[in-house]
Amino acid sequence: MERIDEYIRNAKSLPPAPRVLPELMQLLRKTDVDSSKVVDLVTFDPALTAKILQVCNSAVYAGVTQVADLREALLRIGFTEVFRIVASVIGEQALSAAQSGYGIGRGELREHSAVAAVAAQIVAEDRGLDPQQAFTAGLLHDIGKIVLTKALEGSYEKIIEETEVNQRSLIEAEKAVLGVDHAEVGGRLLAQWKFPEALVESVTYHHDPNSAPSYPQLAACVYLANMIAAFTGHGFGFQAFAMRGRSDALETLGLKGDELPLYMIRTTEGLKKITLLSAA
Amino acid sequence: MPAPSLDAITGFEQKLIVGVADLAVSSNPTVMITTYSLGSCLGITIYDPVAKVGGMLHAMLPDSTIDPAKGASQPAMFIDTGIPALFRAAYQLKADKHRVQICIAGGAQVMDVSGFFSIGKRNYETLMKLLGQHGLVVRAEQVGGLVSRTISLNVRTGEVRLKCSGQAQEGILWKG
Repeated sequence: MERIDEYIRNAKSLPPAPRVLPELMQLLRKTDVDSSKVVDLVTFDPALTAKILQVCNSAVYAGVTQVADLREALLRIGFTEVFRIVASVIGEQALSAAQSGYGIGRGELREHSAVAAVAAQIVAEDRGLDPQQAFTAGLLHDIGKIVLTKALEGSYEKIIEETEVNQRSLIEAEKAVLGVDHAEVGGRLLAQWKFPEALVESVTYHHDPNSAPSYPQLAACVYLANMIAAFTGHGFGFQAFAMRGRSDALETLGLKGDELPLYMIRTTEGLKKITLLSAA
Repeated sequence: MPAPSLDAITGFEQKLIVGVADLAVSSNPTVMITTYSLGSCLGITIYDPVAKVGGMLHAMLPDSTIDPAKGASQPAMFIDTGIPALFRAAYQLKADKHRVQICIAGGAQVMDVSGFFSIGKRNYETLMKLLGQHGLVVRAEQVGGLVSRTISLNVRTGEVRLKCSGQAQEGILWKG
């Protein structure tokens, strides 16, 4: 744990803690959401407010009249959509930069994460898990990479050797080279940012979901979403496919395995709506 | 005096980007057809050096029988529907089946013993079987492995270039 914290402390360009997101998650988990509390929370952030209003007035949602305030916006597009916008804006701020230690170009981590978020939500809705949690966990599953990217710079040859010669997965190679990996670092970062335990755990175990002590299903959902993102043409960086196929993760979700192509198709469909949103 | 060609005027080539589950063909010699981030997906290029027609498919899954409606509405998503669609589109531009040079890239594989995640391998097997049935041979290929790849086809020359994710250097897969 100390080693992980040291990496987080030494990381240069970490984004500010996204205070709104964990609090919004807590609020939306209640059965009767108090909309005034949601409005109060989001109002603090002018960039978020502007984005929500912009989406409300875009072609996807626009009604006869323009929406001018947050309260009206919530009524028009609903809490779920507002949550998705908030999460996406935060994801965009945190994940857009190039992660050169991983060979990931500018915008690529954000793209991969957004696709994983959509995939996780689709799988969660199907398997009776919390779709908002799954979406957020999918979006933030690789957040640890922004901490470790600097430390990995110059380790390209070692990573190649670990994956090609020693047949290690990328995350095992990280552990061998750095002593920590991006999943545990990401989970720790989310814990420091006060995200709920389910989020922390599903990010920590997104490469080995059946080791998750309390939330193996959510972790398996994120695991599968990460695979789906890579398989639908949104996998980037060195040795992007050095991941372990884990059939036990499918079992944890009650899936047989031949559903994977269908989830890939549904994710590709789901993305079309997201593209509309980000273009708004 | 013949009119100057478009790239003589503009001085640069036009880029035609093929998305995931998409295809494109062109007979415009200034065009470079490119597709990014082929992971387990397969990129297939075809080029007729006589008609100077090129085409590219970026297919995601092997077999449309899992979703026939999708196979009909978006044939480029699957190998079994995408390959015929790619060739049909190229025939419209006067390409000939017996002249086309075929190159393939992609089909990356995760480390999987269960077989549940072997999409890349299944894509490749389905493609080879389909091409074999039509007596078509592959000129050059770089498939499998752990990397995602970007490929480009130069419609003027038929040259196919390939770049692996995270690497600066682009290589030549087929000289055309």
